[in-house]
Amino acid sequence: MRRRLMVAALLLGTSGLLAGCDQLKKVAGGKDVVVKETEFPERVLWGDTHLHTANSVDAFGFGVRLGPEEALRFARGEEVTSTTGLKAKLPRPLDFLVVTDHAEGLGATKALYDAPRLLIRDETMLRWYDMMHEGPAGSQRAMAEILDARGRNALPKAMLNQDGTAERTKSVWNSNIDTVERYNEPGKFTAFFGFEYTLMQGGNNLHRNIIFRDGPDRVRTVVPLDPTYKTTTDEIWNYMEAYEKATGGRVLAIPHNSNLSNGLMFELTQPGGGPMTAAYAKRRAQHEPVVEITQIKGDSEAHPFLSPNDEFAGFGVAGWELNNLLGNQPKVPSMFAGEYVREALKRGLLLEQQMGVNPYKFGLIGSTDSHTALSTADENQFFGKHTGNEPNPARVMQEQNLGTRKGRFGWHYLASGYAAVWAKANTRASIFDAMERREVYGSTGPRMTVRFFGGWDFKDADLKGDWVRAGYRRGVPMGGELSAGKKGAPSFIVSALKDPIGANLDRVQIVKGWVTKAGKLQEKVFDVVWSDPDKRKPTGGKVPAVGDTVNVATASYTNSIGAPTLAKVWTDPEFDPSVRAFYYVRVLEIPTPSWPAFDAVRYKLKLPPEVRVKQQERAYTSPIWYTPTKA
Amino acid sequence: MPSSRDLAVAVLREPLVHFLVAGALVFLVLSGRPPNATERRIVVDEPVLESIFNRYVQSFHRPPTPEEIDGLVQDYIRSEVYYREALRLGLDRDDEVVKKRMRNKMLALSGADAEAAQPSDAELQALLDKNPARYAAPPRFTLQQRYIGADTPALRAAAKAAIAAAKPGLAPALPTVTSAMPDRFDDASPSDLAAEFGDDFADSVSNAPVGRWTGPIVSGFGLHFVKIERLKKAPPPRLEDVRQSVENDWRFAAVRKAEDASFKSMLRGYDVVIERPR
Repeated sequence: MRRRLMVAALLLGTSGLLAGCDQLKKVAGGKDVVVKETEFPERVLWGDTHLHTANSVDAFGFGVRLGPEEALRFARGEEVTSTTGLKAKLPRPLDFLVVTDHAEGLGATKALYDAPRLLIRDETMLRWYDMMHEGPAGSQRAMAEILDARGRNALPKAMLNQDGTAERTKSVWNSNIDTVERYNEPGKFTAFFGFEYTLMQGGNNLHRNIIFRDGPDRVRTVVPLDPTYKTTTDEIWNYMEAYEKATGGRVLAIPHNSNLSNGLMFELTQPGGGPMTAAYAKRRAQHEPVVEITQIKGDSEAHPFLSPNDEFAGFGVAGWELNNLLGNQPKVPSMFAGEYVREALKRGLLLEQQMGVNPYKFGLIGSTDSHTALSTADENQFFGKHTGNEPNPARVMQEQNLGTRKGRFGWHYLASGYAAVWAKANTRASIFDAMERREVYGSTGPRMTVRFFGGWDFKDADLKGDWVRAGYRRGVPMGGELSAGKKGAPSFIVSALKDPIGANLDRVQIVKGWVTKAGKLQEKVFDVVWSDPDKRKPTGGKVPAVGDTVNVATASYTNSIGAPTLAKVWTDPEFDPSVRAFYYVRVLEIPTPSWPAFDAVRYKLKLPPEVRVKQQERAYTSPIWYTPTKA
Repeated sequence: MPSSRDLAVAVLREPLVHFLVAGALVFLVLSGRPPNATERRIVVDEPVLESIFNRYVQSFHRPPTPEEIDGLVQDYIRSEVYYREALRLGLDRDDEVVKKRMRNKMLALSGADAEAAQPSDAELQALLDKNPARYAAPPRFTLQQRYIGADTPALRAAAKAAIAAAKPGLAPALPTVTSAMPDRFDDASPSDLAAEFGDDFADSVSNAPVGRWTGPIVSGFGLHFVKIERLKKAPPPRLEDVRQSVENDWRFAAVRKAEDASFKSMLRGYDVVIERPR
């Protein structure tokens, strides 16, 4: 088969114009598919930009045996059998998927597992080898030890054999390219090429997902960058720039799990200290247009320590606020500011005020970071973080420490999230371009449809007409920028539809952040539109809680409260034209049962009181920024 | 997805396969001796050395030094002795790990051929004919949609009455609720409609009449009127248009089928008796 695919690749290469053009794909039968972009994005596309399979060092160690092919079939809505033997099928297919296996040691655990035992000289590796072959429990213990050793820079030398690693990486990468390309179907389902650059400093999470806009011909000219040897953000940006220069292609990076970076993801300084340089800020903004705000290992929107007046801050922080990724460094409150996205957006304004460039002008998405090859973010069908916590009676209360320290339990994992993209077509190019212009949002799982436009002359009456077209004509969509020069305060059109098969909506909020001339960071959450407004009058500036229909005993809820749709034209009542600001939308669902509640019903469990059994799921849009003409 | 060659290499690198399959080949083909647990002679001849050497190069990408070769040979002998003594004691028989490992290796061997195989057009056509609906392009609806509000008994009744009273060509006289839902779709597939409104809505539309207002149609949001202006049904799928999808399915199934077939053919050599306690 490899030979046949090589021939196909050659044919593609010689057809000149076709090569590298995403809109056109030569399918095996020799037919071109042309996918036209619409005038403006009409339908939101749902996907996962962060998924691991058996080719990831840790995922394999944790037991997964499903590879990229199963991952792609599952995302497209096919039924697959999970590693633990359960039938798995998404109730609704996804529109796109990026398989982002760890570049570091791509395929390495599998290679160690498959190696001839008598050739393993290193005693530690031999020990891990034997543990992995004991079965799933041993394999998970081995993986915990490997991660711990990695965090302490104590991996055996034999595991860091650079030549061998490079060769294996290339072979796995090329074989993945073949698979991904076979499942990419422009117009219907987009399969991206990508990998995870797992940058980590002493167990602090600085991970990035790298996503290519291009087809196999360009992507095959590189291999994933291994953070074992390239250990700074500069190095990944060098790699990206070199790729773009050599191929004419495009690539972007998405940071994630800032909540586990112990304050390092969104620093006010240059990494390693000293004032941030404009050059660094510019490069960062250029290569990292989007940040993953929510995923299985917690939610990074806002922390109650930083946002004490936001009663909805702190979603999914339990367990993750204790220490860094590997649990080898406890967290202290002063670190939160460099970890949570809302604060980072504010810091970006401040840095821009100081040096003219905003390093943190990014859009927002959610994704799963699942290590089971299964992208699941629905509470009633959550396949867990890794194979060890695919559905089973013990998983809610099991200790889940990536290293060997204590403090995290199964229920701390969130069945979250998905990436929503306002693209003009379902192709690599169109979705990538939407990410570049930040016209994206993140959800903790439910597929709410959220529109957000900013402009200077939106009126209530606009909602009666073709307001989407008006939004694009007279304003900017989420991710866009407003600059001064118009009269009055900016007005925003915001609209949310519930997930068509999910829960009703509680409310739509606009989160505003700004920086005063004196350099003070400020934020305020505005309730903009909510359900049952006649009965729920704001008191003390806050809209009362929506209520709660969750029946924990049956893991169910009813849509007898909340609203299916909410929309509003909103004008900032506190606008100061001389002050930099951003606005993003947060949509809250009514309370619904969480995955541990479904597990409790399924396995007849009695859960301790600290376990989260219900929650208000949410969506976060990319911000719209306002910049004064002379700030 | 590894190629057959990678798989074969991976399989041959497996320690157990090394001892059992590769070992058997070395002994059987090269030395002319069958692999036998009761064999008391351990011969390290040129083919054995060569295979030790090659495997080292495969793993470490350099030839072993003479000292390393000595070590590898000593280790080989040690392993052979332990292995044969273990077989003699029957330690392989009640060891679940050994059993499972060998089962996995047998599985990999049986699936490897299918992974590399190339389906004929006839095979793919047969697969397509078995389930044409799976590969068919979806029907395309061009329609108008009016959202009239949340699903309540009162609104349902009003909607039914409005539909019954509507004059041909005119929309039913009930006010539309403004929302972000698109009010028209051009050439939307049922899955496009399902993504927007849920499966129930898409199913109802698929069964709705063309050319006039109909409703109320229920979605996750509430009640709608719908007028299908045009319905394009796709012709039966042709292999040339859907080859990639059919081939993906063929290959995915072929690996599992080959494993199953190989198991069944082996199973035929056994008498299986299940004695249930009375």
